[in-house]
Amino acid sequence: MNDAANTDRWIRWLNTVQLVIAGVLIMAPTVWMVLSSFKPSFEVTAYPPTLVFSPTLANYAELTRTTPFLSYALNSLIVTVGSTALGLLFGIPAAFAVSWTRITWPAILTLAARMAPGTLFLLPWYVMFRQIGMIGSYTALILSHAVITLPIVIWVLLPSFDGIPRSIFEAAQVDGCSVTRILWRIALPLVASGVAVSAILAFVFSWNYFLFALVLSNGDTKTLIAAAFNFIGEGSTQWGALMAAATLIALPPLVLAALVQRWLVSGLTLGAVKG
Amino acid sequence: MSDTAAILTQDRQKLEMSALSAPAVVFTVAMIAFPVVYTIWLGFQTFSSTGKQSFAGLANYSKLVSDYEFWHGLWVTIALFVLSLVLQLVFGVWLALVLFHAKRLPGIVRSLFISPFMMPPVVAGMMWLVILDPSLGAANYILQSFGLPPSDWLASPTWVIPTIALIDSWQWTPYVALIVLGGLQSLPPSVYEAAQIDGASAFKTFQRITLPLLLPTIVTAAILRSVDLLRFFDIIYITTQGGPGNASNTLNIYGFRVGFEFFNIGYASALMLTLTAIVFGAVLAFNRLRGAVAW
Repeated sequence: MNDAANTDRWIRWLNTVQLVIAGVLIMAPTVWMVLSSFKPSFEVTAYPPTLVFSPTLANYAELTRTTPFLSYALNSLIVTVGSTALGLLFGIPAAFAVSWTRITWPAILTLAARMAPGTLFLLPWYVMFRQIGMIGSYTALILSHAVITLPIVIWVLLPSFDGIPRSIFEAAQVDGCSVTRILWRIALPLVASGVAVSAILAFVFSWNYFLFALVLSNGDTKTLIAAAFNFIGEGSTQWGALMAAATLIALPPLVLAALVQRWLVSGLTLGAVKG
Repeated sequence: MSDTAAILTQDRQKLEMSALSAPAVVFTVAMIAFPVVYTIWLGFQTFSSTGKQSFAGLANYSKLVSDYEFWHGLWVTIALFVLSLVLQLVFGVWLALVLFHAKRLPGIVRSLFISPFMMPPVVAGMMWLVILDPSLGAANYILQSFGLPPSDWLASPTWVIPTIALIDSWQWTPYVALIVLGGLQSLPPSVYEAAQIDGASAFKTFQRITLPLLLPTIVTAAILRSVDLLRFFDIIYITTQGGPGNASNTLNIYGFRVGFEFFNIGYASALMLTLTAIVFGAVLAFNRLRGAVAW
């Protein structure tokens, strides 16, 4: 009996050790990025690398002084908020209709964008948007990023709508409610938390998306992610500013993800797994 | 009479339902279906250096078959895909087991574990670029302090693919782990109890019971990762742009550069359609595998 208890304690200790190792491997690079962003410029490239230093905001000041960081950030915000809003506007009614009618092809159609390589769409978009003079416009960027947000909204909301008992809708129908009215007045308030999760996930993935803005933006509408190249170019000698840029770009998605971490996995797998 | 009324409401309801999904469908047709058809058409066109467009038949596809860069890109894509997928599945299952036995997982720990895959891949590329710098990076310092030889990492034609696989695995192993953890938590506890009564060892229990029951979840994770890995773009483009030389020039990077650096839209379309066919083929194959391991 005592032996078994010992083995048990030993196994638990071994598991904790593995958990700590995994945690260090996962966190160390990010911690290093954040630390480097606060290092004085001569210490960022010090070799051997230093762990103890007097923190400074000089890299952040440098970043805003030498690059139009804030206007890139504003562009990112416009494109991300716009595409998230568009995704919700189209996605909420579609998810409701798919859940109600069980006709799933509209949902599967939007999923095609999640599977095909982005360049497949980017080539024809580029040709078409150039013909109508929309390259570099916020409209083109928002439309292209909505291709990312729409399937997220639909597939995160589908299980939420499925979870509402049908009898509630049927009762409302007997009372003469139209389908649209049932959606806005009855169903939507019941899936409010699902809407919040889908909006946050859509925001994060639109914010993180790289490829489309690389081609469809111009100097005035460039998003932070697409501008990362500019920072690397300048960062070849200025690692501190580069790491400050990386830290700031990663901050919004990380904060938002922390808010919804509990619902994240089922949302991210687009319904393939219930997390 | 009440029948006609019922049919009428039913028809009206159908109409209203179609109206609800119409915006999403119209948007998807306009932004995805139509452009894909247009890409197929573009694949039969050639663009001269002055931007003049003419019908080329299957010229782009016959070029593709004899293009060394295409076959090289296919090889790089597959090598990166297999290496990353194996790393992420093995370490993902390990991490899931560790997390599963930790039982109570505070929200803050979970948040830290999801932080790699919620940050932009571009940021992951930026930070690893600094850590893996051949002369001043922290990675080589750590290697050397253990008495190991330093590596050129992303700057080495031999090591660039394993290095990129490592960066992607750092980012996505926790994702695989959380999916597998979901699978572990949904397994019936009774099977473990039965195994324990039979006196099975921990390893035997894992090998004979947990792993087979977990296989459908693992295959699902593999499908989700495969779709991303076969169209690998962000981390490569930000760190090496396909280099050094063409050592990390995946099909997706190659197609992008043909299209937007050399503006050969026709050939790029042919390349992208081929890559898309490969991605869908892989998903179908994995789906059959999932059917085979279902319980």
